[in-house]
This record gives sequence, C-alpha cells and structure tokens, in this order.
Amino acid sequence: MLPESHSAIVARNEPWSGSVATEPYEVGWAHEAIIFVRALAVSGAGAAEARVQISPDGMHWADEGTRFALPSNTAEVTYARVRHFGLWLRIAADLPDGLALKVLVSIALKA
Amino acid sequence: MNPDELQTLRFADPRLSRFDPLPRIITLDDFDRGFCGWTQLVGNYEHTLDAMLPGYAQHSAAMLSSASAWEFGSHGGFDGTYSLKLATKPKKGGQNVAIKRLTFRKRGPIRLEFYFTFKPEASELRLGEAEIRSVGFLYDLQSGDADADSLRVMPHMRFLNALDGVHEQKWQFKRRTMALKPLGNEGKTFTHYHLSPNDWEDLPGGHQRLCYNEIPTKINWHYARFDFDLASWQATRFQCNDRVFDLSGYEPIVIPGMRNLWCMLNLAFFVETDTDKRAFMYVDGVCLSGDF
Repeated sequence: MLPESHSAIVARNEPWSGSVATEPYEVGWAHEAIIFVRALAVSGAGAAEARVQISPDGMHWADEGTRFALPSNTAEVTYARVRHFGLWLRIAADLPDGLALKVLVSIALKA
Repeated sequence: MNPDELQTLRFADPRLSRFDPLPRIITLDDFDRGFCGWTQLVGNYEHTLDAMLPGYAQHSAAMLSSASAWEFGSHGGFDGTYSLKLATKPKKGGQNVAIKRLTFRKRGPIRLEFYFTFKPEASELRLGEAEIRSVGFLYDLQSGDADADSLRVMPHMRFLNALDGVHEQKWQFKRRTMALKPLGNEGKTFTHYHLSPNDWEDLPGGHQRLCYNEIPTKINWHYARFDFDLASWQATRFQCNDRVFDLSGYEPIVIPGMRNLWCMLNLAFFVETDTDKRAFMYVDGVCLSGDF
C-alpha cells in the first residue's frame, strides 16, 4: 500500500488578532508535516510569528521550537517543516495590537 | 452463489462478520487504511468564503485518531489503532461534520452500518455525560437525471444526548429545513443549513441509554444500522446496539432536485457540543451496502 498523505485544513477564513491558536489536530500516524499559512485578508500593520506547538494529550501545549513568520499580505505563503512531533500539532501566535488577519492554515502530512 | 453461501463466506472474514450487509458492498471503511474518502463538509460559497453560512464555516478537518487519553494513553479503535474523529470547537452549540461523497447506480435498498462512540474533551476530572449535545448521521440524496421524480432527499438522525444540560438520551429526526439561500450573483450556487438546531423531532419510542462508561476518558463502541430505500425514499429499519426502532413516524427532508446533484449519494456523520467544551465523535468501521 502506498504511504498515507493528507491535507488538513485546520483554520479556514478565521479572523486572527491578539493571542490565537489553531484547534488541536491528531497526527500520530504521520512522520512529517508542513504547516502552511495564507492570509486571505490583512488589516493594520505589523509583523507576527507563529510557533509550532506539540502536546501529550491535545489539551496541554509546549512550544516545539520552530517559529515562522505569518504572511504580511494576501499573496504570501509561509510555512514550517516539522518532524518528530508525537500525536498532536497546532500553531499559536501573538499578533501585535492593530494587526488582524483572516487565515487559511493547512497541514500537509505524510506517513 | 446463493445467499447462505455468501453469508458463510462473509462470516469467515472478521472484517465483514461484524456487519450484516446487503448483497453488494459499496464501501467498507476501516480507518487503519486512511481516511477512506471521508472529509470535512465545507459550506457552499461563491466569489468569497465570507458567503459561507456560519454553521458551515465552523467545520474543520476530521482526524485519524488513536483516541488517546491524558491519564492512560491510547485507547485505539474498534479494530486496530485508528478511527475517524470529528471534533467541535469549544463553544456551546458548536458542530462538526465529516462527509463521504458518492453517487448511486441503482435506486433500491441501501444499508448503512457503522460503529461509533463519543466523549467530551477530558479537560475536567468529572464524568461530563451531559456535555455532548448529539452525535448523528445523514444521507444527502438526489434522483437520477432521467427519473420521473426530481427530488433531493436528506434523511437525518441524531442521538440527542443532552440539551441545555438535560440528559435527554433519545433519537431524533428532521423532516423540515430552512429555505434555500442563493449565493453570489451567478445563479448557480445555493445553500441551506439543514443541521440548524431547529426542526428536530423525537423518534417515537426513541429513548435509549447507551453505554457511556464511568469516567470521561473510557469509551465503548456502539453498533448502528440504518436501512433506506432509494426507490421509495423511505427509511425501512433503524437499529442501535440491541434496539430496533419503529420508523412508522419517520420522514426524511424532501426538497426539489437541484441542477447539479443527480444520483448523489452522500453520507455524513456529525457531532454537536452542549457546553463550551470540545465534543468528539469517533467512527470505526463503516459498511455501506446495496441490493443490486
């Protein structure tokens, strides 16, 4: 059987401002992930980073160490490659005052 | 092959012997083989995602889950490690839907069988048996383009576990939905939120107490079977575990056929939360069969 692969849309057209995080997503079957972020709308100015987070249970989260920029305009795609992440993944971010995004976040997973 | 020989062969295969399929197996989904065509139900839109109705906008991706608990580890599936998991957001009334999109080749009897369970997120050390509002399933069907009728038919069934904190534990169905709403300006796309909280009706005699277990992390799998006749658009049998329910009062939603859904055979599972806590539905083993 061919190795499994899957694209999971974990945030679609979701308004982001302040402290935000994607919903917990189970990835225990996968060996590698790329987390992509697109901004479908941007208002205000400023730059923000996303942090990749891992969890033992989908409820308690720790920074995995990977950080990447969130897109600053609607044409940009930003991403992070992650391996060795256990059973759960999400991204979290703290947007500066005045910056608001509508995001599309997808996780490309491969076993 | 006569029916007895077919049954004997199927009983010899553990993957099939837990089901009672009609002669033709259309799908046999085991989530240790991946998602098997189950995906999130995305709402309709035209030109902008902002056009999507809020009920659909909240949906997110189904997962392959090992049903892992914080205090004892992975529960696993009915068979093997993985099951299909639907999760709501942590907001009262939140809902999520997973769907599989097929078409049919004969308008006759079909049978949906599946194993399922449900739990709220175990974020508190208390039972939480009244925190999940419901789990359920539906078909979204439409006549063939050359058929005498032109109908879109949507049988819905949910187990109303709790509503506003009251532990209801009863099966409900829906025969009404909201009016279609046009999207955009091209006259090609419409939407209607058929999973709104409105219009659910009690299935007569539909009270059932399921095995929920005694702490928020232990799960037990339940069997469900729903028979539907695509020729008459009538449900003919509904069973959950040891109970078979009277469907004489059951009706599906019926609306006029739409311009691009001919022979549609969609199946969906859904979960709703009754509190500001995530609700999870797990499905492992889905067998759809037909009499053709």
